[in-house]
Amino acid sequence: MKRLQMLFALGLFAAASACTSAGSDDVSAGGGSTPPPIQDQPQPAPVVETPLTTSESSSLLSQGTFGPSMQDIAALENASASAWVAAQFDEPMSLHLPNVLAVLPNGGFRNANGEYVPGIAADSFVDTAIRGDDQLRQRMAYALSQILVVSGAPGSSIHFEPHVQAAYMDILVRNAFGNYRDVLEEVTYSPAMASYLTYFRNRKANDLTGAVPDENYAREIMQLFTIGLVELNMDGTPRLQNGQPIETYTNEDIVGLSRVFTGLSYDAGGFWSSVGNGTEPSYLPLRMYENFHSEKEKTFLGTTIPAGVSGVESIDRALDVLFDHPNVAPFISRQLIQRFVTSNPKPEYVQRVAQAFESGSFTMPNGAAVGEGQRGDLKATIAAVLLDAEARDESLRDTPEFGKIREPYLRFVHWARAFNVNQASVDDQRYLWNAENAERLGQLPLRASSVFNFYRPGYTAPGSATSEAGLVAPELQILNATSLVGGHDVLTHYIFSTAQVRGSGDNPNFVPDYSAEIALAETPQALVDHLDTVLAGGKLEDQTKTRMVNMIDAIEITSANRESDLRGRVEFAIFLTMTTPEYIVQR
Amino acid sequence: MINRRKLLANAGAAGLFSASGMGSVLSSFSAQAADSSGYKALVCVFLEGGMDHYDTILPYDQSSYNTFRGLREDLFTAYGGDAIDNSRGRENLLQLNPTNAADFGSRQFGVPSQLSPLQSLFSDGNAAIVSNVGPLLEPVTRVDYENNKNLLPPRLFSHNDQRTNWLAFNPEGARYGWGGYFADAHVFNPSDAQRMFSTISMANNSVFLWGQEVLPYQATPGGSKEFRIMTSGGIRSGLTLPTSIRSELENHLMGAGVESSSLFMRDIKSIHQSSIEANEFFNTVMGGAPDLSASFPSTSLGRQLEAVAETISMRNQFGVGRQVFYVMLPTFDTHGDQATRLPGLHAEMAEAIASFYQSTVDLGVQNDVTLFTASDFGRTLNINSRTGTDHGWGGHHFVVGGAVRGGEIYGEVPPYELGHDYDAGRGRTIPTTSVEQYAATLGKWFGLSDSELRTALPNLGSFNQTDLMFL
Repeated sequence: MKRLQMLFALGLFAAASACTSAGSDDVSAGGGSTPPPIQDQPQPAPVVETPLTTSESSSLLSQGTFGPSMQDIAALENASASAWVAAQFDEPMSLHLPNVLAVLPNGGFRNANGEYVPGIAADSFVDTAIRGDDQLRQRMAYALSQILVVSGAPGSSIHFEPHVQAAYMDILVRNAFGNYRDVLEEVTYSPAMASYLTYFRNRKANDLTGAVPDENYAREIMQLFTIGLVELNMDGTPRLQNGQPIETYTNEDIVGLSRVFTGLSYDAGGFWSSVGNGTEPSYLPLRMYENFHSEKEKTFLGTTIPAGVSGVESIDRALDVLFDHPNVAPFISRQLIQRFVTSNPKPEYVQRVAQAFESGSFTMPNGAAVGEGQRGDLKATIAAVLLDAEARDESLRDTPEFGKIREPYLRFVHWARAFNVNQASVDDQRYLWNAENAERLGQLPLRASSVFNFYRPGYTAPGSATSEAGLVAPELQILNATSLVGGHDVLTHYIFSTAQVRGSGDNPNFVPDYSAEIALAETPQALVDHLDTVLAGGKLEDQTKTRMVNMIDAIEITSANRESDLRGRVEFAIFLTMTTPEYIVQR
Repeated sequence: MINRRKLLANAGAAGLFSASGMGSVLSSFSAQAADSSGYKALVCVFLEGGMDHYDTILPYDQSSYNTFRGLREDLFTAYGGDAIDNSRGRENLLQLNPTNAADFGSRQFGVPSQLSPLQSLFSDGNAAIVSNVGPLLEPVTRVDYENNKNLLPPRLFSHNDQRTNWLAFNPEGARYGWGGYFADAHVFNPSDAQRMFSTISMANNSVFLWGQEVLPYQATPGGSKEFRIMTSGGIRSGLTLPTSIRSELENHLMGAGVESSSLFMRDIKSIHQSSIEANEFFNTVMGGAPDLSASFPSTSLGRQLEAVAETISMRNQFGVGRQVFYVMLPTFDTHGDQATRLPGLHAEMAEAIASFYQSTVDLGVQNDVTLFTASDFGRTLNINSRTGTDHGWGGHHFVVGGAVRGGEIYGEVPPYELGHDYDAGRGRTIPTTSVEQYAATLGKWFGLSDSELRTALPNLGSFNQTDLMFL
């Protein structure tokens, strides 16, 4: 039976949804139905803010950063979670476009040596994730990039446009603590999204040829970026009518909204002007060319933008309509909770975060107010995500449904941060170059396989323990018997410093500093305890640790090869820690 | 090599290497409803993103062609306009000569030259076309579409939901697909082999393959992934792990004996366990596979279908009498620039499928293996200003194999015009054949009984014709 149990996880992919109920065959359209009333707010459970313990620091930093080092954990001791979040808000932001421009000042996708560098934007994303001080801001941008998805994966229209990718990520970085309405607007005008979702140079209908506006963005901005497919309660659960979910829009709404997203092209000479790769118009906001914008009436979601309204005005009004929809707060809040804290938040938790989104303000446990008081305030929202009782309560950690699987990219960056690698350039790294492939990490920022992201927020892995319990597990969509091992193998190369660079290797990247660990290597128990704290947040089971100690002990320290042997113990111990379920699951 | 030793032991215990063991199992369960004699395989080729069916099977008679071209003038221009090598020029289309041409009166059909290998299979009687297939709860027309949404499948035109509506008759969140149910019908001995290797994906993990009995195996062309640290002797220069710890290392990776309340941890443990045990077993069996004589294109789909053919060549070693495979070719979502994107996808699809058919002939199993296509949806007839097409509903599909009653176009082909009874707007065709009718025909060939088909295909009872007769 045990062998059969283990087989439940043979390969995991597909498509699934958390808050939509499957199997309905009788769904009524609800295009113009009234918004749900905001229900009585459950009072946030009081959080008594005592100084953080080591374990509490570790879990806060696992949720809010790209992973802690021992120094990061130590620095938080006796601080409070509120104070840490507030301090993160004040960190100066790191932008990515300047990094790309520094390497490719004249555009193109070859550096000064003529070398082909499609990964140059990923360089900046990875290096900043590892070494940037604005950790929470960068994590938020990364989380948003998994909701408002643009991909620079090979084959994508922006694969060879690192400036465009970096400028897009910068929109998310700059607005990470801003307002979601601004995110929507900047994203809509971005060349990256316009190219990716094919509304770049989208034109009004041509009644002679019958060509009509491209519907792609109209559909996905509703389905994925704002309101979702079915009407939601503030707590993220679907509203039901006669037991069935209520669809938020019909195809007629798509057709109406598609007219809004017409007329956008480069801010250059004219609608058809081409611009060089890496030149400013290629990555700066698009311009509206009114001649190409649909002057027809635009009817969607019960709103009509009258005929003749300008393109700029139409986009502004349409984004208002989408943003004002009551679904936005629970739809976005729930997904943010999933990216930072737990895959299956309790409805009350979703509702508390959605309330912060709605009101634009949040009171931290230390009494300080966060947010500008405008609906859609992301500072208030992320503070509510991280400082909620459900996120901080250590007593919840061991419940069967709490937590999330650490994303493979986050595990990799965590290793680099925990051991203070010297520098991080992706582009010459064979194992990182196309790290989004399943045989590699299976994930890299802005490298999802489609606008549906690496995984769906409602993915449930058929045959899994989580699925049997009715839980979602988004990350399992990209983790199976091939890709999970692929990710471990990439880590193995970095942990043991066998990753080959493409170039000469005389200026190696990703060189870890294991000195603190090597100092413990003669005492395997001490080494394992240390790694348990810095990597696994003290979650390793006793039996796991005992077995690890025995295995590490089996690596002999020889006088002839002492340095290499000590280092080998450390490397092996890190590998063992990072392949435990206790580490891979963030609780 | 502790893994190998253990696997071989496991394999022996389960009788996995014994082809004759399978025969005795079959005979002792002859009372089963499903016909499980011999070997049969279904291969689903999923065309992800929604293939433009209008640009796949084009009208060929001059009148329909002219109307069609008029509706897609900008796209026609993007394909080269009046250039002599425009693959959508009528003179360059490859005409289909279906045996049932009379059913279509004066209407004729053709395919673009990139689909030449499929046209040959069609002409030779080894491929059929099933027209305008899509998810339906019951037969509907435009009047129903406009007036009674309750008659329609949920979340129409949405990628992820229509994908699962096609493969699992539910929107996103579905847990079992019809490939899995079909395989379930043949699982009457809950041996590891039957559960493990009855459904195999060479691409992503699709809900299509999940049944209540079978557990899809996630394979990879070129061999399944095993932990590098378990398979390589030296980890790095100067460091070799002592062999004495290998079994402990395996226990560590499988989380042996570690109990946890966390359901996520259990799932991670399961994945590690299967990667260690099943992958090594699969690789061991496949290590003995002879080279195929058919050559496959070195494309993604070519490699996937080659791996399917290789797996089929080792069917006796796996000891499973019925198998369902899943392969996938993405990026058919041609909202923009269709003329530069679709031809390459068509060529990749057609060439890989033709190679696959040839390999089944070489293996002598062409009558036991049936390949079919599926996709999120068809697309709109009228184009958008990006010279692309938007999300539709029904679409045309191919069924390939020696058992196929080929050379025929099955089902109705709605006119290549706007505003007819099966137009849901912009020429998004309302399906005239349901996925469940399509699947039922495949399932009957696969040996399922009527009652098993109705279990796997929940809305089948809403349709009069449950066997489309293409097999």
